[in-house]
Amino acid sequence: MKKLFCALFFLIFIFNSSAQKGDYLLFTVADSLKENANAVVRLDQRDIVITSQRSMNIKVQRVVSVLNNKGMEEVDAYQYYDKSTSVKNIEATVYDAFGKEIKKIKRKDFIDRSAVDGGTIFSDNRILYLDYTPISYPFTVVYNCEYQTSNTAAIPSWRPLGGYFVSVEKSAVNVTFPQALGFRKKEFLLSMFNIQKTVETDTQLSYVASNIPAQKPEEYSPIFSKLYPKVMMGLEFFNLEGVDGNAKDWKEYGKWFSEKILTATTTLPEETKAKMKALVGEEKDPIKKARIIYKYVQEKSRYVSIQVGIGGFKPMLAQDVDRLGYGDCKALSNYTRALLSAVDVPSYYTELYGDRSPIDIEEDFFSIQGNHAILCVPDGNKYVFLECTSQSNPFGYQANFTDDRNVIVIKPEGAEIIRTKNYESNENTQNSKGYYTIDQNGSFSGKIAIVSQGSQYGSKERVVRLLPEEKDKHYKNYWSNINNLKLEKISFSDDKEKIIFTENIQLNASNYGNITGNKILFTVDAFNQNTENVRRIRNRKNPFQILHGYFDTDEIEINLPEGFSIEFLPSNYELKGKFGEYKTEIIKKENNKLTYKRSMFLNKGKYSNKEYDEYRLFMEQVSRNDNAKIILTKN
Amino acid sequence: MKIIKLLSLSVVLFVAPKAISQEFKLGKVSIAELQQKVHPKDSSAAAAILYKKGVSRMQFDPNEGFCMITDVEARIKIYKKEGYEWANQNVWYYNYTGLKEKVFFSDAVTYNLVDGKIEKTKLKSDGTFDEVLSKFRGQKKITMPNVKEGSVIEYHYSIKCPSDGIIRDWDFQTSIPVNYSEFKVAYPEYYVFKPRQKGYIFPKITTAKNSKNIIINSKERGDGNVTRTEFYNDKIDYTETEVTYVAQDFPALKEEDFVNNIDNYTSSVEHELSLVQFPNRPVKEFSTDWNSVVKTIYEYDDFGPELNKTGYFEEDLKKNLSGITNQNEKIWAILNYVKSNVKWNGYTGYNCDNGVRKAYKEKTGNIADINLMLTAMLRSEGFTANPVLVSTRSNGIALFPNRNAFNYVVSAVETPEGYILLDATYKYSTPNVLPFRTLNWFGRLIRKNGSSEQIDLMPHKSSNDIVFMTYDIDGEGKVSGKARRQCTDYKAMLSRESFEKSKQEEYLEKLEENNRKIEVSEYSRTNEKELLSPTIESYSFKGGDLSEVIGGKIYVNPMLFFAQEKNPFKQEVREYQVDFGYPFQDKFNITIKIPDGFTVESLPQAVAYNMESNLGSFKFNILATDNILQLMVVNQINEPIISTDQYEMLKEYYKGVIAKQTEKIVLKRI
Repeated sequence: MKKLFCALFFLIFIFNSSAQKGDYLLFTVADSLKENANAVVRLDQRDIVITSQRSMNIKVQRVVSVLNNKGMEEVDAYQYYDKSTSVKNIEATVYDAFGKEIKKIKRKDFIDRSAVDGGTIFSDNRILYLDYTPISYPFTVVYNCEYQTSNTAAIPSWRPLGGYFVSVEKSAVNVTFPQALGFRKKEFLLSMFNIQKTVETDTQLSYVASNIPAQKPEEYSPIFSKLYPKVMMGLEFFNLEGVDGNAKDWKEYGKWFSEKILTATTTLPEETKAKMKALVGEEKDPIKKARIIYKYVQEKSRYVSIQVGIGGFKPMLAQDVDRLGYGDCKALSNYTRALLSAVDVPSYYTELYGDRSPIDIEEDFFSIQGNHAILCVPDGNKYVFLECTSQSNPFGYQANFTDDRNVIVIKPEGAEIIRTKNYESNENTQNSKGYYTIDQNGSFSGKIAIVSQGSQYGSKERVVRLLPEEKDKHYKNYWSNINNLKLEKISFSDDKEKIIFTENIQLNASNYGNITGNKILFTVDAFNQNTENVRRIRNRKNPFQILHGYFDTDEIEINLPEGFSIEFLPSNYELKGKFGEYKTEIIKKENNKLTYKRSMFLNKGKYSNKEYDEYRLFMEQVSRNDNAKIILTKN
Repeated sequence: MKIIKLLSLSVVLFVAPKAISQEFKLGKVSIAELQQKVHPKDSSAAAAILYKKGVSRMQFDPNEGFCMITDVEARIKIYKKEGYEWANQNVWYYNYTGLKEKVFFSDAVTYNLVDGKIEKTKLKSDGTFDEVLSKFRGQKKITMPNVKEGSVIEYHYSIKCPSDGIIRDWDFQTSIPVNYSEFKVAYPEYYVFKPRQKGYIFPKITTAKNSKNIIINSKERGDGNVTRTEFYNDKIDYTETEVTYVAQDFPALKEEDFVNNIDNYTSSVEHELSLVQFPNRPVKEFSTDWNSVVKTIYEYDDFGPELNKTGYFEEDLKKNLSGITNQNEKIWAILNYVKSNVKWNGYTGYNCDNGVRKAYKEKTGNIADINLMLTAMLRSEGFTANPVLVSTRSNGIALFPNRNAFNYVVSAVETPEGYILLDATYKYSTPNVLPFRTLNWFGRLIRKNGSSEQIDLMPHKSSNDIVFMTYDIDGEGKVSGKARRQCTDYKAMLSRESFEKSKQEEYLEKLEENNRKIEVSEYSRTNEKELLSPTIESYSFKGGDLSEVIGGKIYVNPMLFFAQEKNPFKQEVREYQVDFGYPFQDKFNITIKIPDGFTVESLPQAVAYNMESNLGSFKFNILATDNILQLMVVNQINEPIISTDQYEMLKEYYKGVIAKQTEKIVLKRI
């Protein structure tokens, strides 16, 4: 064993010293790697040495040639640290295009800052990062960092390709580990590029990737981490922020997490328990009880994130949340769990990725995953999930952040991977009813009621909380097709029980109708113009997905000015295809009145790269027809 | 006798403010305050400052001398969940060897109304945090417990600053309404502080004089054989100046578009030390007017002396200037020399960071490193070049003379035609076209002898965007043609920035997407790198979506995708000035060939709009001869800044401009 380590260190040493010599001349980079690249990773080498359940040493050597000002971010010369992770050394050297050394940056010249994101009030995480001003392009940065951590639960995944517009000459990872710790891994899409597994033994694993060309992002693509190769790694015997653990799969992880992390976190003062019992009163139905408790939590608490030590994984004690009235996602979910248990409603702490696009927990590979916590309440053989950080979400509402994805539901007997609610395209409705009047000067005045449900509820409901001038701005942008818009009256009704949001708006606008000679021209569809702009992408490579389907209907009465007759009416229109259905209709009525009907159904789904252009054309036709105009002539 | 006098005086002093602010005392939260559902004057407010009182008093510490102690207490009402952020408070402090401040929070309590009774929850240590921000600064943070809609929170903090020259700025306004805000500054007669107020509403000011004394205990050892220690107990009387600012019912500050920097409009007061005079000591004067501020800055080691350093660039520069005799060309060559050799590291400041020599050697430096070096180079070539102190847009307008009013420096060359302003820290800057961040009213020019002069930083030359376009319409309404777009000064700067942002292929994709999905071909750029010349883009285009054929007639917007269709001024009332940054002209010369077999049924009418005080003008002319239409459209704004009382006019003007630009030509079959 000892010998092996010596040999390994020796090898690394050799490698290191040879890489320092500034032999990263730019003209040696193949042209194929310069195409679409803002930077070229000449070498990215990670040597991960796990010496025990509580100790992991990682050496990073990264050599990046930056070709232009957009490539700077690929240098990636930074390291996070905290109480369980210490940076042993960190340094960088910058070379010019000819391999001549320009600058050496020592540890003391790295910037040391608190790594707090916007929503966090306090965290003991810190970051050391390189702050270098390029003086000319191209240049090459050789970055070396070595750090030591006790967090063996979090072995960094290996991603040979780190982003768009960057190519890779060579990327390598070497992991060594004691056999007894139960090392596991899962490979994804390795056949996509030139990637070799060079070593795989009971104590060692190595990969090398070479000559990966730069990739271009394409809209409507699945997220980056699903598109490109990676290797996820984990240990059966690990340490998480000072707590030892063992698990091979999600079931065992759940058991450990319940026993070691969640245990004794849900104690509540008797007074609070009694209060909860009084609140639910005679109610027997567990879901109805849960509704009452959820409402109580929403009124009582607020989201405040404090991350200290194990606080990154372990929820704050329920009794502290009870006293302080605040906490982060973990704290508030676990607190709600405690309150529910006081009224005999079982519920489970749940870990997941909270994100607008659905990111799954990897079902058949256990490792530390997720960035968010919610609460799972069983409802017969189904489950309801509660977002406990929101003070406004309806009970069980998940759209746009936690819906349609695999999550880890932590039950005392072991965790289960469960899929959250999928908001079907036809549930996400917006039904509008209203009227507008065009007068002889082309001025517009109208009134509309917009009723939104499903995922559309979530994107509308926030408008209630805007300040008056922000509301004004919101609607002026929402109806940016109506110039000189003036909002007369705005009112809302928010049915949190049925999850229906209604906007009632009265508005007017001068010059909506375009006066040309003795004619007035105006766009029929004033209230619901398709705004989705699908860009032309030549030679699309990636499959594409429509993340959110929806179903909109509009029925608008139009009052035409007196003394004018209709010169032209757009004809009825219908478009049907795999992406959805679109239909418009104009019905002539008496007294210079028209009724405009529009419906648009968009199908959520995954499609191939070949179908993208078809989708673009579909949307283009919708946009064009939404722009159809009526022409009136003065009698 | 003296004690009595002092007592009576202080009694008077204590009573007077008490009479008007009795309820403004920590702990005296009323049921009425807790019951209040919305702010009486601003129903949209998510929270409000019920009162906030601050006192900055210079006090004597036997060990440290005079120190500034600032005590602040506040009571905040939270009406809505969106106001919860007000339950988190933070106070930064200096923390380095030269200046260590201390901050203490205390008496932090959340009040709620529970069953008609007031419930108090105190902040404990688990809600307070101390964070290291940088090598120089730290931050104390608190997060209040048990906060709900309707809660009232209170807290107190004090800052002990060992320096006797710093009084923190005080804002009387913020993003929520302020019912009562009081700030008091008190300092001994040995000091003079100058207050500076800004904003569009002002607090009331009262001044009082208090009698104070210091007792200094000291001991002295006698000489000689007999060791004897004498204890002294000195009592020194002095007068203290106490200035009180009171603001009542100040509204919340609202964000608006086209605003330079909202801080310029915040009602606030700052104090600058202008004089120190202890008995029997010489007077020490600090900056009180622009001239002395500038002089102080000039004498800083990292300013004036850096400017006068020589011997590091001369040889290199000479090589680069050989053969250039024309003065303007020489200025341009020097500017380019600095630009291409020394890169800005992203830090602002009028003080050198690395020092000019090191910056030159390492090819990187902060604003002062680069622009002082530029000034030195210009001087070495015989130009009358001087640094100009500037406050960037994000720093706010330099309204009052003090050293912190500035955070940036550019260079000015005196020529018979006037000043030429230069900035070598930005790639696309040219003589008299400074980066946008510096276009912030006035700067101060410093001459070699230390005297100074105000310099107008706002551009007065119009930045032009001139489009020539010719196109044909065919019988199906399909449009094809050529466009040539030429941009000068700031418009050219914007073009170059967007050229740089993406590769040509992506740029063209965006050009097509943003212009009604035209198809672009034969695209070319001229003068992309020749910064003194206008940027020119030429291309051919075609598109089926540029006109509409309705009922056999062709409707086309003659400006095609160049028509500005949305009024940028949507707001009904305006609190702050509209800031365009620079005057500009958008001009379009368009020639249209109509299809055979068609004739014009109607054309938009020619118009001309003029704003008062020559703020701007719009012209729209259209002429038809045979099958050719000639269109000329000019939108010209002559002032970089438009005042609020002219907003209504500007909005109406744009309404007319947009309406005209969206009008269509109608073509019918013959």
